[in-house]
Amino acid sequence: MTGTAARALTRTAARALTRTATAPAGGRPRRGPGGPRGRRALLWVAAHAVAIALSLMFLAPLLFMFLTAVMSDEQTLSGDLWPAHWQWGNFTEVLSGDMARWLGNSLLYAVLGTLFMLLSSVPVAYALARFRFRGRKVAFVLVITTMMLPPQITVVPLYIVWARFELTGTLWPLILPLLFGDAFSIFLLRQFLVTIPRDYADAARVDGCGEFTTMVRVVLPMARPALAAVALFQFFYCWNDYYGPLVYAKPDAWPLAVGIATFRAAHNVEWNLTMAATLLTVLPVIVVFLLAQRVFVQGITLTGVKG
Amino acid sequence: MAAVTGASAAAPRGRTAGARARRHRRLRVLAFLSPWLIGFTLFFGYPLLATVYFSFTRYDLFNLEYVGLTNYRYLFGDQDARRSMLNTLWLVTLMVPLRVLFGLGAAQLLAHLKRGGGLFRSIFYLPYLVPPVSATVAFVFVLNPGTGPVDHLADLAGIPLPDWFNDPDWSKPGLALLGLWAVGDVMIILLAAVLDVPRQLYEAAEIDGAGPWQRFRHITLPTVSPVLAFAAVTGVIQTLQYFTQAMVAGKVAAGQSDQPGTQLAPGYPGGSTLTFPQYLYDEGFRQFNMGYACVLALLLFAVAMLFTLLLLRQFHSFADGEAS
Amino acid sequence: MRTPTPRRITVALAALGLGLTSACTAGGGGGTGGGPKTDEKQTLQVWHGWSADHEVKGFEDAVDGFRKLHPNITVKVTGNQTDDQITNAIRGGNPPDVVASFTTDNLGQFCQSGAWQELTPRLREDGVDLNMFPKAVQDYTQFKGRRCALPLLADAYGLYYNTALMKGNAPPKTMSELTALAKKLTVRAPDGTIKVAGFMPSVQYYEHTPQHIATSFGVKWLTPAGTANFSKDPAFKAYLKWEKDLLDWYGYDNAKKFMRSMGQEFEASNPFQKGKVAMAVDGEWRTKFIQKEAPALDYGTAPPPVSDDRAAQYGGGFTLGTIMGIPRGSKHAEAAWAFVKYLATDTGSLVTMANALGNVPSTLPALSSPGLKLPAQFGTFLNVFKHPATTTSPSSPNGGDYLVQLQRFVQDEWETGKVKDPDQGLRDLDAKVDKALELAGG
Repeated sequence: MTGTAARALTRTAARALTRTATAPAGGRPRRGPGGPRGRRALLWVAAHAVAIALSLMFLAPLLFMFLTAVMSDEQTLSGDLWPAHWQWGNFTEVLSGDMARWLGNSLLYAVLGTLFMLLSSVPVAYALARFRFRGRKVAFVLVITTMMLPPQITVVPLYIVWARFELTGTLWPLILPLLFGDAFSIFLLRQFLVTIPRDYADAARVDGCGEFTTMVRVVLPMARPALAAVALFQFFYCWNDYYGPLVYAKPDAWPLAVGIATFRAAHNVEWNLTMAATLLTVLPVIVVFLLAQRVFVQGITLTGVKG
Repeated sequence: MAAVTGASAAAPRGRTAGARARRHRRLRVLAFLSPWLIGFTLFFGYPLLATVYFSFTRYDLFNLEYVGLTNYRYLFGDQDARRSMLNTLWLVTLMVPLRVLFGLGAAQLLAHLKRGGGLFRSIFYLPYLVPPVSATVAFVFVLNPGTGPVDHLADLAGIPLPDWFNDPDWSKPGLALLGLWAVGDVMIILLAAVLDVPRQLYEAAEIDGAGPWQRFRHITLPTVSPVLAFAAVTGVIQTLQYFTQAMVAGKVAAGQSDQPGTQLAPGYPGGSTLTFPQYLYDEGFRQFNMGYACVLALLLFAVAMLFTLLLLRQFHSFADGEAS
Repeated sequence: MRTPTPRRITVALAALGLGLTSACTAGGGGGTGGGPKTDEKQTLQVWHGWSADHEVKGFEDAVDGFRKLHPNITVKVTGNQTDDQITNAIRGGNPPDVVASFTTDNLGQFCQSGAWQELTPRLREDGVDLNMFPKAVQDYTQFKGRRCALPLLADAYGLYYNTALMKGNAPPKTMSELTALAKKLTVRAPDGTIKVAGFMPSVQYYEHTPQHIATSFGVKWLTPAGTANFSKDPAFKAYLKWEKDLLDWYGYDNAKKFMRSMGQEFEASNPFQKGKVAMAVDGEWRTKFIQKEAPALDYGTAPPPVSDDRAAQYGGGFTLGTIMGIPRGSKHAEAAWAFVKYLATDTGSLVTMANALGNVPSTLPALSSPGLKLPAQFGTFLNVFKHPATTTSPSSPNGGDYLVQLQRFVQDEWETGKVKDPDQGLRDLDAKVDKALELAGG
């Protein structure tokens, strides 16, 4: 993907999610010789009807989750849709158990992981985007390859190594590697950084700044949206990660994702509490999304655009 | 694959500085790349080689024994391995295309909406953000036969519904449904592509009397097809590592059987949700047949690499000149 | 708490940086010794599998006795731990100090691999007389001469029956009596769906696993060489035929529907406690759950029925028990031993736990203790436990894999009718189990 094309696509994708599409893709010529007005109106109604129906389907599971979360235990098995009594206490009950510890673990993993990833991945992406050196292309291809290959391929030897350092049972085997660059973030940042015109950095260099200073002072501020996007992605990756903690973490160190999955068996299948706990893991994500929709879209588009 | 083109402007300050400057530059590159170089070696290169080594051993983390090709021989005739491969294949061949098609449909619909487009877009996208574990738990509940709200609603309407995650024939369709619900990522990429189709093309086509289907068929589709292919290939690669949803659905649906004192065969119900990565996990981290798990890992590597190469090729056809 | 010290992380990072990554043995140093002495101040991590409130409390009460004896030791108890979690922690080299598992079948794996420490030297040193444990209990806590566990209460299985639903019938003694009575007591709705099941033979019914029910047919689980015996012992085929015949009498779909609608095993919604089944095979702990959750239920207990050709063995049944051991890599092995020894042998503590959990005590002194205060229906289980014909399922080097595979075969292939020929099915099962055993190096 050429830089320009990437930029163009990024822009449209950002528009795609953050603003209402300015015009239907089908256009609407003032007086088209084709379709009569009536058919257009019909199409309009049909499209909106389908959209509303789909929306209901997309929202229904979340709604059911919420309604169940405030039911009493008996009612959850009754098939009732609407809670007879709104038991808001379910949320506090859930939080008083293991949830608090899981939450702490999730935050540790996600916050440290994101910080480490930024520290290590930014310089690499910068180098791949701006330096010309022999093997650059190979390096980039390798980054993409590691990004694509399933983590399960290398998990056995890695586990053995971490067991040697007695760090299995904790989340560190998942956090520490992020100090050494994350392929997906490197890839994404690099895709963005190549779109920043070189002139700015060159000007800074003429001013006598070293390469590192140039990166920190000049290029990174311009890359703020991309940085925000990779940070968010990394945060959510860690927050949602189930496989990694399942392999490494002891119950002490479980994050929310693993805890929630065992919640049902541990709580004698109380669906109302299970749903309350599950909902609590969803809420932060939704809030962040509403606050940072634009960042998300740009990020996703960067991933999609490339190929 | 690594033919460096280097077409664009060469570094401006090449010759004058001489050898020292070159060495300096090389060191600088190394310094910037060092985190990744170390990380790649330690967390990818080494373990990949070690996986090959361990695949010839019997290793339970206590005792290491060289067993030659025993693990490889076991793979042929291992019914669980075959079952897990078929399950993963099912997901790759059915769930991936369904997601891409549904994503395209949703994108196309969004592109047509004028009123409330932004709102609909957010709603369509939202489920993708729900953490996979939570989404799976919620789905198992909502579709739960007997007690789930959807089951209840269908009952009222007189529509018979399958047992979804409790029926070996319906658990994978249940997972596919979950995949469709969280179609947001595919949809957004495709929406960007759909919106990027030049409007003049549509207008011209309309003047020529092309209907909506013809416009879609002859204008939209050809323009977005590279993005479709991209979504499909990355979808395949993602699905090859499909683990979380399958494992959680099995665990939650089995519910009380997953308690201390009972040992559950993975992939409830009836091994129908046992995906290949999950089998690998089971052999490695429940049975501690580390050597055999490495054989499975190498197999996964081979297949995933195939699709990664496909993707890299696609990249290539897209990308020339600058950067990639 | 054993949070990783920053030092450990630094070392790991440094070593990683140096590329010091060849690994041969993970899982810390094996062996015994090391660590603080019993009288030093320390914290002991204990994992067990109980989860119901009265069970968790019963365990804590028993531990309190140990706390009084050793005020210098802080005991931190974590419940609801599965064997997977236990094994994972031990193999990963970061285990708790004491673990207790319900899955007696896994003992072979624990002992053979060395995941649980050999206790014989310690037992000898402290002069513990193993004859305080009943013979069957001595057996299921050792594997091929390695004793890596001590018993912590035992379980025996028997037949529970709902007096009202029995309509005056005596509890069955043979499988054909059970079958006939099950059919007689079943109540169906006009459309064939089951309202009350006389006896639900499916392995998907909680404790009706092949492990518990096939025992009534006198099966021999493993060959003398330790390989699978399913196709060689005709008792398995007899069990399969009985199981499927009765299940088909209900209709598989009806049975499935019934089981889907029944409640949860360890909750008040348990179908036996709700009067939805007339007879069920269950563990002795059910008496305690009934006491807590369905005190009004009028029920009786009897030894499990046996196959018709084994009438002489009536009175015996299936038993196994919770096993307790010290993981390899425990950092406080000395104190852990003191803890294990105390819980396994102290009569007072065993009686406390047996009363609270409604389990069978696992030492002879505790079995005859006047302090045992259990419901009247409990006597059956004490008798089953002591009966000479009572058996358990043997351990194998890859744990209870053969039992997991049998359960899966019956549930997925036999009950559903995918496999029609029991001989062929059992032969395939044998092959599968043996191959897995070979892979694990058994």
